[in-house]
Amino acid sequence: MSKPDKLQSAAEQLGPDGLSDLRSRAAKKFGATGFPTTRMEDWKYTDLSIASDISVAALQDFRTDLPPSYEIPDIDAHWLVISNGSPQVGSFSAIDGVEVSLLSEADVDLQFNLPLSDLNLALLSDGLRLTVDSGVNIDKPIGILFFDDADTESLVSQGRVIIDVSKSASVQVIEFHATRGDARKYANVFVDLNIGDNARVDYARLQARDPSAVQTARLSVAAGRDATLRHFALDTGGKLVRNDLAIDIAQTGANVDFNGLYLADAMQHVDNHTRVDHRVGPAHSNQEYRGIVKGRAVWNGKAVVHEGADGTDAQQANHNLLVAERAEINAKPELEIYAEDVKCSHGTTVGQLDENAVFYLRTRCLDEEQARRLMTHAFAMGVAHRCPIDACTAWVDAHVDAALNALITEDAE
Amino acid sequence: MATESEELESLVNRRYEHGFVTDIEMDTLPPGLNEDVIRAISARKNEPEFMLEWRLRAFRMWLEMREPNWAHVHYPPIDFDAISYFAAPKSDADRPKSLDEVDPKLLETYDKLGIPLHERARLAGVAVDAVFDSVSVATTFKEKLSEAGVIFCSFSEAVENHPELVKKYLGSVVPQRDNYYAALNSAVFSDGSFVYVPKGVRCPMELSTYFRINSANTGQFERTLIIADEGSYVSYLEGCTAPMRDENQLHAAVVELVAMKDAEIKYSTVQNWYPGDEEGKGGIYNFVTKRGDCRGANSKISWTQVETGSAITWKYPSCILRGDNSVGEFYSVAVANNFQQADTGTKMIHIGKNTSSTIVSKGISAGKAQNAYRGLVKVMPQAAGARNHTQCDSLLIGKECGAHTFPYMEIKNQGAKIEHEATTSKISADQLFYCRQRGLSEEDAVNMIVNGFCKEVFNELPMEFAVEAQALLNVSLEGAVG
Repeated sequence: MSKPDKLQSAAEQLGPDGLSDLRSRAAKKFGATGFPTTRMEDWKYTDLSIASDISVAALQDFRTDLPPSYEIPDIDAHWLVISNGSPQVGSFSAIDGVEVSLLSEADVDLQFNLPLSDLNLALLSDGLRLTVDSGVNIDKPIGILFFDDADTESLVSQGRVIIDVSKSASVQVIEFHATRGDARKYANVFVDLNIGDNARVDYARLQARDPSAVQTARLSVAAGRDATLRHFALDTGGKLVRNDLAIDIAQTGANVDFNGLYLADAMQHVDNHTRVDHRVGPAHSNQEYRGIVKGRAVWNGKAVVHEGADGTDAQQANHNLLVAERAEINAKPELEIYAEDVKCSHGTTVGQLDENAVFYLRTRCLDEEQARRLMTHAFAMGVAHRCPIDACTAWVDAHVDAALNALITEDAE
Repeated sequence: MATESEELESLVNRRYEHGFVTDIEMDTLPPGLNEDVIRAISARKNEPEFMLEWRLRAFRMWLEMREPNWAHVHYPPIDFDAISYFAAPKSDADRPKSLDEVDPKLLETYDKLGIPLHERARLAGVAVDAVFDSVSVATTFKEKLSEAGVIFCSFSEAVENHPELVKKYLGSVVPQRDNYYAALNSAVFSDGSFVYVPKGVRCPMELSTYFRINSANTGQFERTLIIADEGSYVSYLEGCTAPMRDENQLHAAVVELVAMKDAEIKYSTVQNWYPGDEEGKGGIYNFVTKRGDCRGANSKISWTQVETGSAITWKYPSCILRGDNSVGEFYSVAVANNFQQADTGTKMIHIGKNTSSTIVSKGISAGKAQNAYRGLVKVMPQAAGARNHTQCDSLLIGKECGAHTFPYMEIKNQGAKIEHEATTSKISADQLFYCRQRGLSEEDAVNMIVNGFCKEVFNELPMEFAVEAQALLNVSLEGAVG
């Protein structure tokens, strides 16, 4: 059986239910396009052949009956679990002001627009739809846990969540990625976040998969009039990680702030692509991503200011610290501007710790390693402290600390 | 505001000053491209066998290549078979030996362009190798240069008189297969300039070439090769204007620079090809490959460009920093008005140790123009201690124009220090108001602000060029204030 046939039969295995038709169409579409390749501008630095290999292996003996397995992180939140691609309905508890439903039972219009989205729909066992009522202020964060567990056989898992935040509501969302088991795992996750007029969303995407895991994830945000988004992304795990963040500002007054920290160890490849479309103005977007890189990292930030979006203020910053001889960073801050009355800027740096600062710390009786550790930590925390969700702060601090220690200690060795 | 807009309109609608055609008999090959055309070009130029082989190899490579489409520019497909690949003034057989022998009509053309050859040669001490369409017709100051041992001649002469140098360096920086337009140029290049500065020689004067497209439907394919041997210095000026035409003309030049140990090359360009009319009709397609190779230690290559013309510009003067401690610089002002489209920038490839590069790019968009900066800073794993600073600023004048930046940074060495900053803004009403209340007209105020915006780049231009560049900028942009 050829690869497209395998995909089609896997898609059929997941039904019949409300998503069957969608799966079949998506499988056909993905069968024709396949995975993005490095010949495509958006994928120039990230080769998905490993994701393709894992998918092929997983489709050889595609299983829809994997038992649920997960560990809830130590963060106080209303947790919704998607384990090995399947929403664990039993784990959900009711959240005041939020309606949670399965995509197979909800009336949603899912778009075919990207090859990875087609793959996601073709193999999606089910997804979640969250609707936050207008005007509510949810008491604690809503956590969505994507957990993959595979010990022996290759696993490919799909996650899809749609979050509709009604007008004037205020909510905090944690998107958490974790894994268990030694087998090869590829997770492909799509989250759509629609922020209503005057609503506010604080969003943290925390990724701590194991060092052999592969992930492609996309968060698409549509910001309403005077909507506010505070977003923070942390990547410490994964062998190959690609995150896309696409923000569409089609209403005036939106204010989006998105930041990220990525730590790439020697064998890791972490790719962050961000794109913000300013279709109207005035609106404000601001992003800062920082990376500490021992392996390979990619950062591509793009701000598009469309015709007529006067009054746009778009700022981008990306700073990278290379901590190993073979470290590699590919950075590309892009601006596409078709309006006149705009303020846009970007700044990117790649470098090392300031030797003068290290020397200064050494004059204060710190040894070389302590000095470097302190400065690296300060560099990371400069952006990690912008995590907008207080409930995550302790976890982020501890996790970044541990990951940095591992990175630097190995380096010192 | 109404009077202002009328005033603006009249300024924007100002016609291209250099748009006229000089009526000179041309010897032109019929349109179309095949191996016979290439043989014909080579034969007419009395080239040795190795050149013909080189051209044919390039042509075969070109046939297998596809036209690039990644640039942020849009234009109808080019019919390469509708272009004539060779045009030379008829008097090729008996070329003038001095300016007195030059066709008076040609000299008249230069006078109209404001390039008084005699005067410039005598007063400014600049040697001018003027390319009228394809073949060099006037070269001055040769004696003085040859005293210093500097070879400055047309490419055809270099092929004839210094085949060993041509053979050694041609295609060594921009190989035939480099890109679609470089391959095309390698196959059909008509003429260009050749400079060789021997060891330890500081070229006694600025070298300069004026290009001019004159014959309708004739692609212009110059090839420039500059070699600065150990410890030498040369400053080269390139400038161009073109007559008004309705049909698009293709211009695909290749410039190769080689700087050996301790050598320095400064290459300055003022580009003012016909940009098309206010409707976006006509104009030159300017697809140029320019690259410098800092081959030896402590060498330096500096590109300075002021790009005001062309309907479409596709140009990325680059530096390969191969030698240890070598330095690459790129200073650019790119102006796009009306329907002009520019996709221009640079590549800095750091290979040697302690190499450093500086990029300063100023893009100005007005009317309905699209102006993109596209740059690459690449630090190879062995390039310890590499430094780069990039600054790219865009100025928007008008509601329908676009300014874009696509900077790529590929850093593979831990010790690299890379800084990139970019800003985009418009001339603010406050700035204008301030200037106007100090008694400046709106036009003068805009000129002053724009000149200030570009000053960093103009400072890098040789004086003769800086004056011309400022004037050009004013003409290109006057009145286009939002």
